[in-house]
Amino acid sequence: MPELRKDPISGRWVIISTERSKRPDAFVPEAQPSPADYGDSCPYDEGREYMTRPEIMALRRKGTGKDGPGWWVRVVPNNVPVLQIEGDLGRTGVGMFDMMNGIGAHELIIETPKHGEVLPDMEETQIERILWACRDRIVDLYRDKRIKYVLIFKNSGINPETTFFHSIIQIVATPILPKQIKEEMAGAKTYYDFKERCLYCDIMRQELADGDRVIDENNSFLLFAPYASRSPFEANIFPKQHASSYTSITKDEVTDLAVILKRFLRKIRAGLKDPPYNLMLHTRPAFVGQRQEGATIEMDYHWHVEVVPKLTKLAGFEWGSGCYINPTSPEEGAKFLRDFKDY
Amino acid sequence: MPTLRKDPITDRWVIISPTGSKKPSGIGQVCSRITPEDGPIGFCPFCTGNETATPPEVLAYRQAGTKPNEPGWTLRVTPNKFPALRIEGSLDRTGEGVYDKMNGVGAHEVIIETPDHYGRLSLLAQKEFEDVIWAYRDRIIDLKRDKRFKYILIFKNQGAEAGASLPHTHTQLIALPIVPQMVNEELEGAKRYYRYKERCILCDIVRQEINDGSRVVSTNDDFVALEPFAPRFPFETWILPRQHDSHFEDIKKNEAENLARIFSDTLKRIMKALNWPPYNFMLHTSPFDDMVVEYYHWHFEIIPKSTRVAGFEWGSGFFINHTAPEEAAAFLRDVDLTDFK
Repeated sequence: MPELRKDPISGRWVIISTERSKRPDAFVPEAQPSPADYGDSCPYDEGREYMTRPEIMALRRKGTGKDGPGWWVRVVPNNVPVLQIEGDLGRTGVGMFDMMNGIGAHELIIETPKHGEVLPDMEETQIERILWACRDRIVDLYRDKRIKYVLIFKNSGINPETTFFHSIIQIVATPILPKQIKEEMAGAKTYYDFKERCLYCDIMRQELADGDRVIDENNSFLLFAPYASRSPFEANIFPKQHASSYTSITKDEVTDLAVILKRFLRKIRAGLKDPPYNLMLHTRPAFVGQRQEGATIEMDYHWHVEVVPKLTKLAGFEWGSGCYINPTSPEEGAKFLRDFKDY
Repeated sequence: MPTLRKDPITDRWVIISPTGSKKPSGIGQVCSRITPEDGPIGFCPFCTGNETATPPEVLAYRQAGTKPNEPGWTLRVTPNKFPALRIEGSLDRTGEGVYDKMNGVGAHEVIIETPDHYGRLSLLAQKEFEDVIWAYRDRIIDLKRDKRFKYILIFKNQGAEAGASLPHTHTQLIALPIVPQMVNEELEGAKRYYRYKERCILCDIVRQEINDGSRVVSTNDDFVALEPFAPRFPFETWILPRQHDSHFEDIKKNEAENLARIFSDTLKRIMKALNWPPYNFMLHTSPFDDMVVEYYHWHFEIIPKSTRVAGFEWGSGFFINHTAPEEAAAFLRDVDLTDFK
C-alpha cells in the first residue's frame, strides 16, 4: 500500500509509492559529461587567479599574496552574478505587484586549486577549510543590513560546464527570506510554541531511538533519511548539539562534519552510480524574529545540511502541487546506504 | 539591473535576471515532437488496437456502435497501470511519534487525448480540444462523489525531459485525500487578499494585466493568456477566465469553446517559438468542500521545460529566471502561426 507521509517541519505531504517501488540499483542517473580538460582556460585553477574578480577571502599558505597562487580555498564574486551588491533596495509597487532591485551577493567558494578534484576525494583537512570558509562568509555577509538571508549550496554534476568542471560551492545572499526557509521556521516555531522543545531535536531523538532511517552518525552529527523524503536517498545532516546558526559551529564539529559528509558523498558515488546531487545549508537568518516580541528562534530553529541526489525528474505534478511522489521508501534507502561498505 | 519580484498570491519571490538574449538558454534545445521519420513506434499501449494493454477504461468518447475497450474511440480515460496511489481502502490517519501518515488512497488516471500516436494537443482540431476539456470536467464530477478525496490534480507532462514516460500524448489526473501544499498556499494567499480587499486576487490580476497589456499574450471573450508578473520559469504562461469562477467543473458550453481556442493558440505559439519544447501544465482549481468560493479563481499554468532546476531553487523555494515576462509575452505575441503544422 502506498503511504502519504507528512513532513513535520514544512507540513508538506509526500507520497511514498511502493507500487512503483524502485530498488536502489534500478536508478540510472543522467550521464554526466566527462570532466573536460580546460587546459589553460579554467579561471578557477591555481595560477589563473587574474581571470576572476579580486578575491573576497582565501585560506592560503604563509607568505603567499592576495590573488596569487598558494591558496587552499578561495572565495570570489561570481563573474555573472544573479544579484549585485551595489545600490539600494528601492522597494516599489506596480499596481498590486511588489518588486525591488536585485541587491545581494553572489559568490563562489573555489573548493580546491586542483582542477577536477571533487569533494569525496579531498583530504578531510581540505573539507574542513571549505566548511570554515562557509562560516566566515555568513558572518561577514550578515553584517550588511540589506541582507536577510545567506544561502549556501552546491550543484554537483548539474550543468557542470557552467563551472568549468571545477568543484565549487555557491553563496547567494538575498534581501528577502526564501520561501522554504520561512516555512521551515514557521513549522519549527509552531511546534516550539506547543511543546517548548525544538522540533529538530525531537526528530533526532526519535530517529536515533528508531534507527530505521539512520544512515550514519558520529559524535557531533546524525545523518538520516527524512521520514517524508521527497526523492530517493535524500539525506539530512543534523548537529546533535542544538544550535540555530551554522556560524556557531565548533572546531570539533567542523572535523566531524567533514568526516560524515565525505563518507556520505563517497557512498552515493559508489552505490548510486555517481549521481548529480544538490547540497544545501539551512541556517537561521540574521535578524528575523530577533526584534519581535516572543521571538524564540534561538531555541526553535536548528541548522542543518540537506543533500539530495538527483535520481528522478520533477514533473508537472510536483511543480504544480508541491506534493512529491517518491518511489523508494526512506527506510529502504537508508538501509542500502548504511550497509554499503564498498566505498 | 536584476529585479526581485513577488508573486502576490503565494508571496514567492523570484529573481528576474535577464541575460539580454531573446531566447533563453536551455530551452528549445530538446525537441519533444515525434514524427514517422523517427522510426518504428514499437508497442504503444495508448494506440488504437492496444486497448487491452491498459486497465479497463473509465470513460471514452467513441463512434456510435463501438464497444468499450475496443477501437473506435476518439478520447479514452483509463486508470494508470502503475498508479502512485490506490483506489481501494480507507485513509487510516495515524501518528508515529512526531510524524503523521495515512494510507496512499487516491485515483490515478490517464486521459489519452487522441488515438493518433503522432498527435499533439496543439495539433488537435477545435472540436477535439473541446472534448479534452469535457473529459477533464467529466472525470472531476465523477471523482468528486468519492468523499475520501479533497482535491484533483490535472496535469500534463509532455516529453521525457518533462517527466513523461510515454511519448503518446496524454494528460494525467490524480485525486488526493489531501489538499497539496502549493494549492493550499495559493488558497491561503488568496484568502488573505480577500480579507483585506473583499475582492478576488486573480480577478484583480486579470483586470490589471488586461489594462497594462505588456504581459498579455492573447485574449478572447472569456479568457486571457498571460505571463505572470513573477514567473518562476522562462515563458511560464497562465490561462485564466476573465469572469470570476472558482471551480473548473462549472465551465459553460461557450466558455469551453473559448478555452479550447485560447489554449490551442497558446500552445501553438509556445511550440513554434521554442521549437516544440518539453512542457508541463497543471490545472489549479478549488478544493471540493465548497460549491462556490469568492476568493479563488481556477486557471491553467503552462511551464515549458528549461534548464534543469538546480539546488538553489530546490532548497530555497526561491527562483532565478533569466527571461523577463514582458519579453516573453512580446515574443509569443509576435509568433506567426500562418504555416503552423
